[in-house]
Amino acid sequence: MSASWRNTLLGRLLAAAHPSGGWGYRLAGEPSPEPTAFGSLALSAFGATGDVLDAAQRKLAEMQVPNGSVVVSPDVAAATWPTGLALLAWRCVGLRESNPFAEPIARAEKWLLAARGETFVPDRRIYGHDTTIAAWPWIDHTHSWVEPTSYAVLALRTGGMNSHPRVRDGVAVLLDRAIPGGGWNYGNRRMFGADLRPFPGPTGVALTALAAEHPSTQVSEAITYLAAELTNVRAPLSLAWGLIGLTACNRRPAQADEWLEETAGRIRAAETGPLDDALMLLAGSETCPIPTAPATRTAAMTG
Amino acid sequence: MNQPETRTTQLEQGWRPSRRELLGAGAVTVLGGTLAAGLRHAARHEGGLRADVFISKADSYSSDLVGAIADGLREIGVTAASIRGKKVLLKPNLVETARGEPHVNTHPAVIVAAVEVFRRLDAAEVFVAEGQGHRRDSQLVLDESGMNAALLQSRTTFIDLNHDDVAAVASAGRWSTLGKLHLPRTLLSADFIVSMPKLKTHHWAGVTCAMKNLFGVMPGIVYGWPKNVLHYAGIPQSILDINATVKPHLAIVDAVVGMEGDGPIMGTPKPLGCLVVGTNLPAVDATCARLMKLNPYGVEYLTAASGALGPIHEHNVYQRGETIASLASRFAIIDSPHLQGIALS
Repeated sequence: MSASWRNTLLGRLLAAAHPSGGWGYRLAGEPSPEPTAFGSLALSAFGATGDVLDAAQRKLAEMQVPNGSVVVSPDVAAATWPTGLALLAWRCVGLRESNPFAEPIARAEKWLLAARGETFVPDRRIYGHDTTIAAWPWIDHTHSWVEPTSYAVLALRTGGMNSHPRVRDGVAVLLDRAIPGGGWNYGNRRMFGADLRPFPGPTGVALTALAAEHPSTQVSEAITYLAAELTNVRAPLSLAWGLIGLTACNRRPAQADEWLEETAGRIRAAETGPLDDALMLLAGSETCPIPTAPATRTAAMTG
Repeated sequence: MNQPETRTTQLEQGWRPSRRELLGAGAVTVLGGTLAAGLRHAARHEGGLRADVFISKADSYSSDLVGAIADGLREIGVTAASIRGKKVLLKPNLVETARGEPHVNTHPAVIVAAVEVFRRLDAAEVFVAEGQGHRRDSQLVLDESGMNAALLQSRTTFIDLNHDDVAAVASAGRWSTLGKLHLPRTLLSADFIVSMPKLKTHHWAGVTCAMKNLFGVMPGIVYGWPKNVLHYAGIPQSILDINATVKPHLAIVDAVVGMEGDGPIMGTPKPLGCLVVGTNLPAVDATCARLMKLNPYGVEYLTAASGALGPIHEHNVYQRGETIASLASRFAIIDSPHLQGIALS
């Protein structure tokens, strides 16, 4: 296993940190919660604790608004989808005996439990999925979708809430949105009578969220789809999430490191952003800090 | 003359819909659906608006696309004087990809040809920018669509609008409930914006072309994947607000091979063999609808754009280059009540 690409990406991620803390989607871009959360998790995975990580964690707290959600920008209060990611980062980084972010964690958790995607009366002529189950939307007052639901499920599990009805609804939505034949896209499996296509990225995200669940046809079909699809994927975001998902399901491909190294070589030339670097590092780490197994409530509270 | 567009509107009898009436039925929207019946009524009195639209024959993606686009620009009055020194943003349609199905997205050959034309017109910078509606991963979309190789070869930069820094801008349209639009700073910094769609049917809007293509400038981090905020605000209304606010300067439509049936994703290839070029997007889209043998007055966003954002009536759209009659071919649409009456008889 080559460590050189990991060192390169880790060094680049550290160097790309915004002076005020956290990371933007682009080099020198304004800090945003998603790259900041995954940047934090990536540093943690490689033991790179220190000022950059602390500043990133604090930046996430600055991005939290009074209702407890963590928003893309203060100007866009409805773009609350990063809340689960911030919760994950606060909970999973550092493993301190007493988490300095206990108060933001509590507020984010409370907000997540109350937040619900819009539902509506199903019309099977048009939609293939159950439109009546509320999970989590990207943006307030819209329908529930695969990625924000997966983030929320993963985040709430870290608080020992695997049995909470909202988490169970989230899992139900994910299972319901699986595309016949395997995998997920953004969250429409069928429209106007046509089965839609799966994408590797959302499939990896959903698999990560479902890895702790009982075996299901949806998960086994998604593993089959993803294992085949990733042989052709050298795009950082999709490859990284695909490998994180397969690894969570104990199905990491033997060629995973080879694919990551090839892709890392490619993105060095392409000048991508910190989010790509962070996800690639997480996919390449031996101890990915995104927990897939449910935490107990007691253990979570001490974290 | 085209097939008669026989949808009789109340407006022809002197009635003009109020904004409240336009918005009224548009509130019922879900995952891309809209019941904006109010928008079906439209002006044929277009306030003296006129526009030129050029149709250039292009049998295949290996034909002289640079020449076709250059001819089109010259015919509609876009010259080096209007491009020189400007930062030109080309906005393709890359909604999602599937290997072996190039009719889903704007073909890379058309984009590269446009890059070449604008460079020859002395643009200071020409770049490609998109915020895909379904797939977050731009790199994968570029890889699978063949766009990546084409852009590398032509040394053209791609900007991912889904993850750009954003700025809030007051909506100049107010058809929808959006109020303000959060637009990518890259878009706001461009001097000349070119919508470069693939000509397709759309299972909600009827037609997706130059105006609908601008959904792709709305950043996913603010509007989601799919851009569900725009669905809830009403697809036709959002199309109108985005176009009124962004004010694109030009459209170049890839109608070499389009898509019919269950567009914009799951439809089938439909060769039409042309490019369509124009500076007024409603006029371009109306022309494209006629090329598809669809009634522009059956497309809600076009009827509402008529007279407000441009002309769509055939008397007010001056067709240059090839005639519509010489190229028009019927595009199949899905059999659904909300698209009843859109096909020209």
